[in-house]
Amino acid sequence: MKRTVDVSIPVGPVHPCWKEPARVKCETRGEYVVSAEVELGYMKKGIERIMKGRPWQEVMFLAERVCGICSVIHNMVFIEALEHISGIEVPRRAALLRVIVNELDRMQSHILANFSYCYTIEHETLAMYLLDVREKVMDQLERITGARVTCAYIVPGGVRFDLRPEDGQALRQSLSAIEQEITRYTDMFSSGPLIAFRSKGIGILTKEAAREAYAVGPTARASGLGDIDRRLRHPTYQSLGFSPVVRTEGDNYARIMVRFQEIVQSIGLIRKCLDELPEGPIRGGGIPGAGEIVYSGEAPRGELSYFVKTDSAGRVLEISIQTPSIMNIEACCHYMLKGVSSLADVTSTFVSSDPCIACTER
Amino acid sequence: MALSLVAYIREFARWEWARKFLAARTAPLVIPPYFRNYPELTGKTCTHHLFCMMACPAPGAIDVIRTPEGWQPRIHIGHCIRCGLCVEACPNGVLSSGRILESMFRDNTRLSFSFKIDVDLDKCMGCGNCAVACPVNKLIDAQMSHGGRASTDDLLLKLSDGKCRVLHVEKCTGCKTCEHHCPNEAISVARLLEAVHAPEEEP
Repeated sequence: MKRTVDVSIPVGPVHPCWKEPARVKCETRGEYVVSAEVELGYMKKGIERIMKGRPWQEVMFLAERVCGICSVIHNMVFIEALEHISGIEVPRRAALLRVIVNELDRMQSHILANFSYCYTIEHETLAMYLLDVREKVMDQLERITGARVTCAYIVPGGVRFDLRPEDGQALRQSLSAIEQEITRYTDMFSSGPLIAFRSKGIGILTKEAAREAYAVGPTARASGLGDIDRRLRHPTYQSLGFSPVVRTEGDNYARIMVRFQEIVQSIGLIRKCLDELPEGPIRGGGIPGAGEIVYSGEAPRGELSYFVKTDSAGRVLEISIQTPSIMNIEACCHYMLKGVSSLADVTSTFVSSDPCIACTER
Repeated sequence: MALSLVAYIREFARWEWARKFLAARTAPLVIPPYFRNYPELTGKTCTHHLFCMMACPAPGAIDVIRTPEGWQPRIHIGHCIRCGLCVEACPNGVLSSGRILESMFRDNTRLSFSFKIDVDLDKCMGCGNCAVACPVNKLIDAQMSHGGRASTDDLLLKLSDGKCRVLHVEKCTGCKTCEHHCPNEAISVARLLEAVHAPEEEP
């Protein structure tokens, strides 16, 4: 008879499947994971401390550098917080351009997350296909903003560059190519028998557990929580008639499928923005003033909130950032990993919650 | 066996595959014209407003230096984060990066600077160092006495009733000389950056 032994197995901090360092300590019985605990703190940057006392035009760039994958939303939330403090109005064209760039950023982030999951379950073909599509999205970001990752596109009162008609045309063409490919890869993912074997019914986060762990973003939406999406409270998204994607299974498969569906949804939102884009100014002007606010927005991974306090010259006196990944990592380690029946599924479950350690530790 | 070997060779020894294998060339890497690269000089005359240095978010990324041809901005590659704010802030279009300069003329956008001088009257002890050191004051009234008192009211800073008063803040160039010369840290200059659309034409 096979003997099972209780052992504590650390996964990480350096692991070939993970993009960033984190350590998950699993208490196991045989290969069955009884409980898991996460250890963070391998890459603290102290970026909030650097931000203090600097004017907004410097903090804007530091905010982008909190996260290398979802940089646009950090810029957007910080600048919109400043706008709410000082009552700066944004022209409609600029608000729609912000949504376009933000959704492009969300698309590339979701594609990267799905790449990383496919790579972890050893489906490298699909992973490489997804990375190939991501390049198309990044090219469009570069065409609009001039940079691939740290776009620096949003400034108080508007955006920095206008969308030219020829760029809008190229964006539409690229979107239909991306949609075609993403639909094909979604079919590959949802119909693959080996993918289903590695994904369905593994790492289940129930709706109650998601609420209890304050899970956010696609992780929560895969467990049936749709109302946590901060885009529902953003006026531009409200005017576009946005409604979140919700699935109810709560397993690894659902989390990846939510991301695939949100990529298609983002394509729809961008098309709607391009259709509605009015002629007009892209900057309303306005100088950030004194005040303090807690403002949140929906990052690709969930709710991102900034506490900002400024003085009358637009310098940031105090700032505190709460990023979405910390809640999802907690939900992953304390709820999803409990009861995972194989150690090989620990990495894939952890990756399916899309942890961004750079965001978490700032 | 022999038959399968022939089938194998027929399947895989294809001429076009061999040709591709031998003659494959990666397309050369090109930087697209819309990429925001390090700023480059356009050859226009720099007027030493230093707005590029004031807008720059990266420490030590840009300097304006004096050359035999006149003032010239110099970018320090490695410090520069390629944000392009210096290109947008320059009033004369001395720098260019990607399509930024072109977009500014096309969309009629720019970054405009204004300055705000705060004097903490509790800390100010009326030494007048700020008013004497101010280069704008020096242009208006070269005869200003060492205490910062003057007969004209056209000045940027002036001492009256034993305290520093800001008279014409619109004349400030944001050099922060007053801030460096204040012994008590009573005066501070804030550089306010504003992203505007359709600015007034330069006279």
